[in-house]
Amino acid sequence: MNSSLLHFSNNPIAISMKGITKHYGSTLALNNVNFECMGGEIHALLGENGAGKSTLMHILAGLSRPDTGEISVNGSVVNLKSPREAREYSIAMVHQHFTLVPAFTVAENLALDLPFKGRFSRYSSRNEASTALAKAAELGWHLDPNAITSSLPVGLQQRVEIVKALSSNASTLIFDEPTAVLSVDEVADLFRVLRTLKSNGTTVILIAHKLAEIMAVADRVTILRKGNNVAETEVSKTDVHQLARWMVYGSDVDTDEEVKISAVKSSSTDTANTVLSGTGITVSGDRGEVAVNSVDISIAKGEIFGIGGVDGNGQLELAECLAGIREYSAGSLLWNGSEFAAGKNPSTGYIPQDRRRDGLAVNLSIVDNLLLDAVRDKTFQNGPFLRKKKLNSLAYTLVQEYDIRTSNPWLPASSLSGGNQQKIVVARALYRNPDLIVAMNPTRGLDIHATEYVHSRLLEARSRGASIVLFSTDIDEIKLLADRAAIISHGSLTNYDLVKSSDEELGMLLGGMGLESGSGK
Amino acid sequence: MKLAADSPATLPLTPEAKAAEKYNIVKNIVRGIVPLITYPLFSILLMAITLLIFRFNPLKVMPVIWDGAFGGGDIGHINAISETIVKATPLILTGLSIVVAWRAGLFSIGGEGQLLMGALTATAISHLLKWMSSSLVIPLMIVGATAAGALWGGIAGWLRIHRNVQEVISTIMLNYVALYLVGVAVEGPLQEASKNGPYSSLLPNSLLFAHLLPISMTNGIQTRLHGGVLIAVLAVPIIALYLNFTRQGFALKLVGSNIRAANVAHYNVDAIRMRAMLLSGGLCGLAGVVQLMGVSSRLSLEFSPGWGYNAIPVALMGGLTPLGTLLSALFFGALNAGSSNAERMINTPSVIINVVQAVAVMLIVSLRAWKRRASEGNAE
Repeated sequence: MNSSLLHFSNNPIAISMKGITKHYGSTLALNNVNFECMGGEIHALLGENGAGKSTLMHILAGLSRPDTGEISVNGSVVNLKSPREAREYSIAMVHQHFTLVPAFTVAENLALDLPFKGRFSRYSSRNEASTALAKAAELGWHLDPNAITSSLPVGLQQRVEIVKALSSNASTLIFDEPTAVLSVDEVADLFRVLRTLKSNGTTVILIAHKLAEIMAVADRVTILRKGNNVAETEVSKTDVHQLARWMVYGSDVDTDEEVKISAVKSSSTDTANTVLSGTGITVSGDRGEVAVNSVDISIAKGEIFGIGGVDGNGQLELAECLAGIREYSAGSLLWNGSEFAAGKNPSTGYIPQDRRRDGLAVNLSIVDNLLLDAVRDKTFQNGPFLRKKKLNSLAYTLVQEYDIRTSNPWLPASSLSGGNQQKIVVARALYRNPDLIVAMNPTRGLDIHATEYVHSRLLEARSRGASIVLFSTDIDEIKLLADRAAIISHGSLTNYDLVKSSDEELGMLLGGMGLESGSGK
Repeated sequence: MKLAADSPATLPLTPEAKAAEKYNIVKNIVRGIVPLITYPLFSILLMAITLLIFRFNPLKVMPVIWDGAFGGGDIGHINAISETIVKATPLILTGLSIVVAWRAGLFSIGGEGQLLMGALTATAISHLLKWMSSSLVIPLMIVGATAAGALWGGIAGWLRIHRNVQEVISTIMLNYVALYLVGVAVEGPLQEASKNGPYSSLLPNSLLFAHLLPISMTNGIQTRLHGGVLIAVLAVPIIALYLNFTRQGFALKLVGSNIRAANVAHYNVDAIRMRAMLLSGGLCGLAGVVQLMGVSSRLSLEFSPGWGYNAIPVALMGGLTPLGTLLSALFFGALNAGSSNAERMINTPSVIINVVQAVAVMLIVSLRAWKRRASEGNAE
């Protein structure tokens, strides 16, 4: 009794949202949702894609307004009409899609949100950003203030985004799926920072759908499903299975049913039949630097070759090279013994890592997005004209075949949830049954259902004999799917034994240390 | 169901899918029509307000404008409507040019220069090939003018692709280059023999478009409705087909929507953007020769009253679609014809119409921006 009172007085309710309802057009995004968060805790908001987590937090961050409902901060009711007002109540958000200006330096981005001090005094973004940079240093992050933001790997950009949010003296920080873009090491580092923030008294709200991460870092968790409250509990009083059940089935389910979190199993394949063989492949990055440095690679028919590693170590360049978007500057790349030419020898399907940027034209219709490649196929052309009927029926087939959930496939692709958008990208990469599939973080940001779906499609492609190169920063995904694997670090590949290698060895490889140099310890 | 390699079997459209497709078509048509009704009504209201501000009585002026555009009073209906169509003709072509560039995500302001280059080239051809039969010179003039406009658009395209010079900037600068080239030409090699003023000599009648309407139909007053009008009207369905039903049109749309996705899907983005600028420029070049052979008959520094620039409001009001552009060009043509009449008859300055046009454009642009912001909010 005493201790619970003490607990209460130490941690009053910092954020309280009551009866929040929000419609987007005719879609009910949030239905009378309640959310409470104690001061100084790490509170996870769990749910599948489309559960309403981001919508709820956008309301708290002042980015959108609820139809009905009441928000209180530290006990007093507030009216958050804009992010600026939210910031006055010390609420800031770290977005999944960063809000940084790509062409600006780190310092300029950090200074962007700060109020101007003197109208006529000399402006120096570095001086303005110095407090923020000092804060970053306290967290153990040494950011180069002069680096151009777009040139930084995504993990570092996120740090800038976080520091930017912190620099407004926020006492409540909302993180929107922060680990989606991070590697194992970066996730561990982020969690360290989250704990540091917590110990400094900052309230952290973590939008997430990875159960292990919630178990690892959160104090309490609120579960949403399809815009409704499901449950709220202390993390120490629950387990992964319980959370998964809540997330997928809601609260009123037959609890005997075991949720299959990752039921996909690899089957052994014949690895002797090498189809893709490259030696000394060297690929340049956008700034002319050597991104992939003299890599040897060989892949068999019907094999999934996993390439793990921390973002920004040459994955993108190697993937784009194999997908035929980027040329290699040195080395030789052969497919079945003859010159490799992506698209022709072999036929290729590519799942790019950033679907909104590289995979889709979100303003165009779902149909158009599905037909990006088909329109260039002779069978769908009649002279210069397109055979619209045939194309539309192909698109409609793909909508059904790949289970793209939409009321009308002629709506813009932006109307779909992330998972359904990814299904468009997957459908386009796979429907022509290509011999080589290059997939880069194909399940990043997807919920359990969509992830399982993509995995099963990839395994299906393998079983019909496709060779798959799977780039993933999620080592568990590689362990789950790949037949053989390697880790990429500083543009070099090191083979990684999926069965025998230990986690410690993995850490060494990710950190860019070869096994030989690491084994001395 | 398994799809066979490279020849996917397709399912027949279910009734729901067909309904969705139909719904989509109807929605697009409604979306196209609504602004074409509301914007003109709105412009008329705006015109009344503008007239009031300048202390003209709208109830007196607007009927005169109406007569100039559609006939009535002393003006025959066919005469007035002919004049409206003549005024709309260059705007149809230059408006289409904006639509094509816009589809590829390019904002070309170079219509004026491209049009002048077309007219200049056609004039030069007519001067150089005086000895040739006019039935050969006419097609050469039309092709030459189109090619010159395409070249002018292509320069901006090349600069954008290879030097990353924004087409907004380069096309404006190229407009001046074209204007001064015309200036040099009409005070130099192309100036008429008597050297009276900065203009070329009149084209011989054999090089002009025929009048479409016989005098007998129009109260004995010759209309200016010329054969070039048919070129402009024909261009509308051709461009509409090209943009909506060909693979090149699809590629333009894709590049205009997301260049990176187009690149990743192995589209040749540079070639597609270049093609858009060439086609866009060609249409303006064509507008230049149509005006030369249909209306002005000679090249001068005052050859164009801004058809290249007015193309932007025309295309915007037309919702950046070919059919919409045709209708909105006709609306602008009617305003022009009507306001000329008002100036002639009751001394109301026709530039008032320019004020109305400018305000209308700002409103349309802000409306579009507002709509886009609203739809982004919904895309959550």
